[in-house]
Amino acid sequence: MKKAGITIENVHLAFGDTKVLEGVNLDIQPGEFFAFLGPSGSGKSTLLRAIAGFGPTPEGRILIGDRDVVGLDPWTRNVGMVFQSYALWPHMSVRDNVGFGLKERKVPSAQIRKKVDAALELVELAHLADRMPNQLSGGQQQRIALARTVVVEPDVLLLDEPLSNLDASLRVHMRRELLRLQRQLGLTTIFVTHDQEEANTTCDRMAVLDKGVIQQVGSPLELYDRPESLLVANFLGTANILEGKVEIKGGARRFVTKTGDLLPLPDDSVGEGGNIVLRPQNISISRTQASGSLPGKVQHSEFLGSQIRYLVSAGGTEIVVDQSHRAGHDWIETGADVHLVANTQSAVVL
Amino acid sequence: MKKILYSTIAMIAVSASGALADGKVTVITSFPDSMTGPLEAAFEAAHPEYDLEVLNKKTSAGVKYIQEIAGDNTADIFWASAPDAFEVLKGDALLADVTIKSEGIPDRIGAYPLNDPDGKYYGFAGAGYGIMWNERYLKANGLEPAKEWDDLAKPEYHGHVGMSAPSRSGTTHLTVETLLQGEGWDTGWAKWKRIAGNFSTVTERSFGVPDGVNTGNFGLGIVIDFFGFSSKASGFPVDFSYPTVTALVPANVAVVSNAPNEPGAVAFIEYLLTPEGQEVLLDPAIMRLPINPATYAKAPEGFPNPFEDSTIGATVEFDVAKSGARYNLVNSMFDLMITYRLDDLRSAVGAIQAAEAAHADSGNEEAKALIAEAWALIDANPINEAKSLDAEFAGIFTKKRKKATDEVGARQAEVEQEWDAMVVANYAQARELADKAAGM
Amino acid sequence: MSLNDPNHVASRAGLVDRLPRWLVPNMTGVHLAAVFIALLLLGLLLVPVAQVMIVAFQDPATGAATLQNFVDFFKTSLFRESFWNSFYVSAMSVVVATAIALPLAYITTRFHFSGSILIQSLGFIPLIMPPFVGAVAMQLIFGRNGTVNLLLRDWFGFDIPFMEGLNGVILVQSIHYFPFILINLSASLRNIDRSMEEAAQNLGSHGLRLFKRIVFPLAMPGYIAGAALVFIKVFDDLGTPLLLNVNNMLAPQAFLRISSIGISDPMGYVISVILVVFSVLSLWASFLFMRGKDYATVQKGGGGMAKRSLKRGEKIIAYGAVIFILMLVLSPHFGLLLLSFGTIWSYAPLPDGYTLQNYVTMWEGSKTFIMNTVLYAGIAATLDVIIGTAIAYIVLRTGIFGRKGLDYLATAALAVPGVVLGIGYLRTFHAIDVPFTDEPMASWWVIIALALMIRRLPYALRACMAALQQVSLALEEAAESLGATKRRSIQKIVIPLMTGGILAGFVTSFATAAVELSATIMLVNSNSDAPLSYGIYLFMQTPSGRGAGAALGIVAVIVVAIGTIASQFIIERDKKLKSSGDAH
Repeated sequence: MKKAGITIENVHLAFGDTKVLEGVNLDIQPGEFFAFLGPSGSGKSTLLRAIAGFGPTPEGRILIGDRDVVGLDPWTRNVGMVFQSYALWPHMSVRDNVGFGLKERKVPSAQIRKKVDAALELVELAHLADRMPNQLSGGQQQRIALARTVVVEPDVLLLDEPLSNLDASLRVHMRRELLRLQRQLGLTTIFVTHDQEEANTTCDRMAVLDKGVIQQVGSPLELYDRPESLLVANFLGTANILEGKVEIKGGARRFVTKTGDLLPLPDDSVGEGGNIVLRPQNISISRTQASGSLPGKVQHSEFLGSQIRYLVSAGGTEIVVDQSHRAGHDWIETGADVHLVANTQSAVVL
Repeated sequence: MKKILYSTIAMIAVSASGALADGKVTVITSFPDSMTGPLEAAFEAAHPEYDLEVLNKKTSAGVKYIQEIAGDNTADIFWASAPDAFEVLKGDALLADVTIKSEGIPDRIGAYPLNDPDGKYYGFAGAGYGIMWNERYLKANGLEPAKEWDDLAKPEYHGHVGMSAPSRSGTTHLTVETLLQGEGWDTGWAKWKRIAGNFSTVTERSFGVPDGVNTGNFGLGIVIDFFGFSSKASGFPVDFSYPTVTALVPANVAVVSNAPNEPGAVAFIEYLLTPEGQEVLLDPAIMRLPINPATYAKAPEGFPNPFEDSTIGATVEFDVAKSGARYNLVNSMFDLMITYRLDDLRSAVGAIQAAEAAHADSGNEEAKALIAEAWALIDANPINEAKSLDAEFAGIFTKKRKKATDEVGARQAEVEQEWDAMVVANYAQARELADKAAGM
Repeated sequence: MSLNDPNHVASRAGLVDRLPRWLVPNMTGVHLAAVFIALLLLGLLLVPVAQVMIVAFQDPATGAATLQNFVDFFKTSLFRESFWNSFYVSAMSVVVATAIALPLAYITTRFHFSGSILIQSLGFIPLIMPPFVGAVAMQLIFGRNGTVNLLLRDWFGFDIPFMEGLNGVILVQSIHYFPFILINLSASLRNIDRSMEEAAQNLGSHGLRLFKRIVFPLAMPGYIAGAALVFIKVFDDLGTPLLLNVNNMLAPQAFLRISSIGISDPMGYVISVILVVFSVLSLWASFLFMRGKDYATVQKGGGGMAKRSLKRGEKIIAYGAVIFILMLVLSPHFGLLLLSFGTIWSYAPLPDGYTLQNYVTMWEGSKTFIMNTVLYAGIAATLDVIIGTAIAYIVLRTGIFGRKGLDYLATAALAVPGVVLGIGYLRTFHAIDVPFTDEPMASWWVIIALALMIRRLPYALRACMAALQQVSLALEEAAESLGATKRRSIQKIVIPLMTGGILAGFVTSFATAAVELSATIMLVNSNSDAPLSYGIYLFMQTPSGRGAGAALGIVAVIVVAIGTIASQFIIERDKKLKSSGDAH
């Protein structure tokens, strides 16, 4: 299958006065598993559908490979799309569903049969070929929808929240399956989701969207460790944000919170903004004071299995601290006075 | 319930006035509301102690109804056009013997006795049959009004004539029977079929004919006279005339045996025969021929007077007994030969008419022979008059319930199917012959 | 305290308790209601229809069981012809109705069409004109010498046999019934999940291929449901062929046989059996087709097909089609209106002159008709919603044995043509007298109201079912957990929440019962018992009465129109009330 990249140039889309997509620019590499991540209403689905050709025509260019597809009818674009509801046609058997696209392309029926069988093998559901969609489970339907799409060998694969209708346990299994398949086929894939865990665990790179604007593009690690905005920081993982300002005293950079607490910053840290982002797992909690520690009081604790999560009021706000639940650790009770030490190596100032 | 409420109040009102007369008189009638209405109002005004309850049913349905409730009779009066219906009821001993007092009423109207010689039913108005037409329609189609029955069979009227069926309408039945008696069985049926070949439609109820003429749906209709008169009086652009072969037949009224309110029933009949009652017949919505000659002094201009104009109704002496004996049989024959096979008949007759037109002056003897043969096929009847009067055969067509003596040899459906097959074949063949003749 | 309360039971110790369970079952109020309703349906529906069916299988002279009547029927060419004609007319009516409905449904669901209100009203206008009334008006406009043909002949020299024979019946019926197909088809098109279409487009399909392979198959079940309903209604309809003088169809033949030859004529019964069997078959076939193909539940969401805007040329065609159909649909109303205000209308495109006299005449002559209609339809509708609610509750909320049977029995009334019900009542009740009087029951006016009730029950039942389904069981259970008995929770929670649906059902029942003719015409005994529909029929039987009859017809139309609008309004308001926060 030929690999095609997707280039989105300066795409604008508005419904009346509402701007749904604003100044979107993206470069997706051939063979990449790319995610659009964002809250609902962020425009991620709209962008995906614009690539597929559904919805009103946007301004700008969308290149699949080197072909600008803006304004082209959906049936001429050769993009494969898996819908959130899977959209299997209830009046046709699994085999007929999967073979539909081939039939539209006037492939001879003997060949259709072979290709359909192959596609069903790929998703490991060959034994269900003659069933009707209403006899399939959610996960099976999704895999059939996928088979239906890949069998026509599209240039790119678009997945619109494919896992949101599945049970939690199935979701984990299915996202690994999806990734495996994608690697196997090498198809450029865009995966739309509002769940950052899904995005984190599957994609090579992702774009975070909010209110129709791309906030940041990068690998999951980059976006997590080096968010470029508070929104991104908040969206990926839990973030503690303390207000204050950066000070330089005697050659050392440090961050002074509103409440006057001092947090040392590494020498190579950049950023002059008024917020510092601290991840819960980078803060240690203790009953004893240490240098540079923040005093606080435990408001609440939650048992998360592998972590104990403390909500501590400190620094003028509520700070989330995750402590690894290892054998033999000290469980701090609610209401206790504690001291927090932040490992600011990975802190980000925005 | 409103009825109980009403009668309770009525009872109280009546008892308060001291008189405890039983007020309700139940009338089974085939006459429409437009006729029973004015008469009911007039009667109740003249006799406030009575309340007329009118049950409207088609003639045959009315007869059936009375037969069915005979065991526990609730009807007082049977009131309809067709004397033969009364004959049927009389034969079933369902009519009461009553004495009616009247003044100024003759014994006959035209050639027909007004009252049953056995005193079971009485005439109260007269009616004749004739042809009604729509002036606009005729003008638009370049046609002249038809004066005689034979005229209606003429080719120029093809597809322009309407009529009801004797099985649907007592008055139509009388019309059919009148022609059969006037012209003879075979000739009569032949005439009917040739006229029917010009039919546009056979209507479901007798009113369908004047309705069709009034709206201009078809141009001419075979109707009972008052339909023509009342339509004209209502303002429709129509007119009516009696052909020479017609019978003036009384419309009748009778008291049902074991009537719940015999005195009331008698009062009703007597009222109909009073000068006031007779005058109501001249109401534009009714327009029936009164049987009191004196009433005609009050009639509008142009209204026919059978007592002075002897051309109306004298030519045929209607034999009621004959008619009654073969009532249902005639109904069936008409339906089978005409009503249900109208399309076939029409196209066959049309083809013959076309052939005749083509060979009007051709002198082609062969063609003429074929045409004559075709006509013969149209005219052919499944049974002759003698058979029609054979009581046993005619009895097949009578649905008498639970009479152990009724052993029928052939069932009605069987016979009807036989006739139908014959008729279909004949018409088809006639058409073939006509087409062949036209081609020559 | 309910009968199931242990204290209560204990206090009834004695003989009753020592009898075996099956002899004295533990009957609650709901059980009793179920039994009562079952008896009612038995006596008013099953028994009369069974009577009719039995007579068809009896020898008229001896009463012995026989198939001879049926053999006779099929041997008689007239009846074979009537059978074929009924079938043909019904099928063709479906075809023509589809031809009218399909473009309209397609335009509303596929495009942004500002005339959609127009189309919605198109779906409503024909239903408010009782078909037999419309038949008279259609004759005036489309008849042989009606408005259209007179003008055509004058201008162009030809005419079109719109109303000749069976064509007239087909035309009147299609125009009257196409809304059924329009509504069902629009609904199923709207129920198609947009992603169904997009998935197909995504895989390369569009235009007609898309319609053929995806859209139409998905819309089929809804369409079939509508088409089957139209088929049955046309097949069973008596009034329209009667007023158009078309006698060689099954329903008019049954009516004519019974009314002219009498209730002893076996053919009338044979025809009744055939009518019923065919209706049941059609209903069953449509259910069969629908089962397993209820695509609505498989698709998640709906959202309908993607709509696009119309191009200029398409707009013209669309508006043209809609306006043409609108004119067609309004023609009976128009004709009726003209007739009601006209003086004389004879062989002319329009009446000679106009007057208000007809309305005066109508008013003077129709007070009884109108009062009777209000009485009969009122009783029928009231009983309908009471019984409908009861059955709905029994079916949806209890486990009473045979409750499904109750549902089927009530719905079975759909398959019984009015004329057959009428014949059945005549036969069953004519030997019985009304208690305390001498009148045979068959001529008692109450019978008419009961017949109307039975005929409308299936619709009322569906309305009540739908209303009850919207009331979550949890609401009842919450009440019961707080101490309310079953009866009180029904009274205080369930019924009030169902009010919208019940009211809508009442109004529709009333409006359609008010203009029923098929059963009425068989059962009306005297003019003083006649309702509106019969009154119109009577008026149309005299030369001077046509105008007044038309005026009364307009009254009927208005009654039905108000009823339908009111019912819609109530449902809409009810929906708004429930939609806030109701999602589960």
